[in-house]
Amino acid sequence: MRTSTVAKAAAFVAFGLWGANPVFADSTGVTDSTIKIGFVGSMTGPAAIWGSGNMAGATLAFEELNAAGGVNGRKIEFITVDDETSAPKGIAGFNRLVQSDKVFAVFGPSSSAVGVPMKATMASSGVPVLIPSFSSPLMTEPPAPNIFRVGAINDRMQGRGIANYLVNTDKRTKIAILRQSDEYGATGAGAVGDRLKELKMAPVANEVFNAADTDFTSQVLRVRSANPDAIVVYGYPAPSAIITRQLREVGIKAEIIGSSATSNQNYPELVGKIGAGTKFVTTLEHQPESDFPAIKKFREAFQKRFPDLARQGRPALGDTLGYAGALTMIEAIRQAGKDLTREGYVKALESMDGYETGISMPTHLSATNREGNTKMYIAVIKDDLTREVLPGAIETK
Amino acid sequence: MDILQLIANGIPAGVMYSLVALCIVLIHNGTNVVHFGYGDQITFAAYLVVITQTLFGAPLWLAIASSVVISALFGLFIYLAILAPIRKTPLLVQVIATLAIGTALREGMRAFMGPDPWPFPALVAPRIFNLGGVFITSANVAAVAIAVIITVALFVFFKVSKYGQAIIAACENAKGASIVGISVTKVFASIWIVASVLAAVSAILMAPVVTLSPDMGLIAIKGFCAAVLGGFTSLPGAIVGGILLGLIETTAGYYISTAAKDVVAYGVLIAVVIFMPQGLFGKAQLKKV
Repeated sequence: MRTSTVAKAAAFVAFGLWGANPVFADSTGVTDSTIKIGFVGSMTGPAAIWGSGNMAGATLAFEELNAAGGVNGRKIEFITVDDETSAPKGIAGFNRLVQSDKVFAVFGPSSSAVGVPMKATMASSGVPVLIPSFSSPLMTEPPAPNIFRVGAINDRMQGRGIANYLVNTDKRTKIAILRQSDEYGATGAGAVGDRLKELKMAPVANEVFNAADTDFTSQVLRVRSANPDAIVVYGYPAPSAIITRQLREVGIKAEIIGSSATSNQNYPELVGKIGAGTKFVTTLEHQPESDFPAIKKFREAFQKRFPDLARQGRPALGDTLGYAGALTMIEAIRQAGKDLTREGYVKALESMDGYETGISMPTHLSATNREGNTKMYIAVIKDDLTREVLPGAIETK
Repeated sequence: MDILQLIANGIPAGVMYSLVALCIVLIHNGTNVVHFGYGDQITFAAYLVVITQTLFGAPLWLAIASSVVISALFGLFIYLAILAPIRKTPLLVQVIATLAIGTALREGMRAFMGPDPWPFPALVAPRIFNLGGVFITSANVAAVAIAVIITVALFVFFKVSKYGQAIIAACENAKGASIVGISVTKVFASIWIVASVLAAVSAILMAPVVTLSPDMGLIAIKGFCAAVLGGFTSLPGAIVGGILLGLIETTAGYYISTAAKDVVAYGVLIAVVIFMPQGLFGKAQLKKV
């Protein structure tokens, strides 16, 4: 049986039980003075791009909270597990947090490749899980009662948003798609194609690439043959950067738009000057390098707390989403009140309708909706390789 | 016209594989060890350039020179501290050791320099030449030119110089070589140094084109394929194998399907292994029984 089918079945059963049985107060991991929060995410391996940031951002948020006296008189005890970008290790790590460490709630995981296979385990555990970054729609389709996502936008919505932007705003009529061969690329680019179909259009080219490839000549030449006026590149930063360069190097002048994976702060430098004018999806209205007051305050605090990460040019997207996700978690715990239970925490999350962290998109959740954000922005790489977020959030529902 | 562009891009793409294959073959020929961590050694050398520039503010030439020197010393360290002590263990133990070296380097770079890709300075000013509708970049021209120079230099070294012939002798018969006064330890150490210097050279050519990240060394998988295609014991074979692999990938992706690109490339590789186990340039191994 496919993993997604297992996940769907588990989620269905869990949701059914949720409605059928009386809910007992569960305050596992909560004492008079502490709340145990577990983190499972990729601190090593390829997905560490997101996982290490999610953990660093959350660490900062929880440390700031504890320094200020905690939430409702309790301090956060943050227990972390590295899934090493491996789904089996992610499942084992989650089980360890739940069964051995007996955490109250879990923050993470940080990548689709690890998170999707974990969904059945997470759903059946009943432990509340808050996902701060990765974008597979399978985590919320179908919804599980205890799994929420905030800040990030899922790939299906993102694909629709990209198609909407290119057709309705940019008035493009010949759109080509270059997508990563894995689930990430298939879902996002598939959604672009589906939305184009609804708009009575079809992509003029639809090419795939592997994330680990280093040359994309055949793909870019096939795209060139189709003579598009816009090209969607749906993939991770390294292959997307090479593809963008190669598209320009063979003389293609069409508009290029990348997925949110290319919204990291150093992406413009990866592509180089040849990539000026390239657009990308972002779920941050203000980028981590901006001087928007809330972002600036976060950046300064982050760089003071993590000087070794500051040397790497961070905070980056993963750090920012980790910090914002942890702030959302703290707010839900605060709203759940002094008599903290998992049920109260879930209800508090479900009641969030427009909660703002100041650095990420507002969170809108409900009893039936586990996807906290449905909006995105388009940003552009300027000639001096700085980034500018274009005005107007795009609704993707 | 697209076929010319495919060739113009397929050759430099293949040269990247060739550079990896060349040193894998060199180490294998010289020490009988298949170095599965070589791709990560290239990545490490590229990060050394970035570290020297970013942390110490060194100019590019000094960063490159530092990378070459540190890589050479690191190669010597690998041999003296890790592989020499286990030289007489089963080959599998040595192979696992090289895998461990690669993983340690990769995760070490990820921890120290972060998981995000890093921009890497271009060795030559980025330019695009339009030759009658075929676009060629300065980075690709440099990669091909330097790969050719390295191959010719290695070929001459092994064919003409006494030291090169001593290496071949030590490789073919270590006991015999030591009887006639060749220091096998010195020969092996020098092979690791040369291969590690070439890792730094490859890194400088590769990183601006293929994007530096902790996982850049995964290109070694293609390098191994190129080496097998070329015969695994032949230095020119490694170069030709890499270029062929690059050309097969680009043309198969263009004319058949981009989704089938790797299927075709690896299909050709499997066919070569089945029908020409010695590869394109390797010698058939005869065993007297």
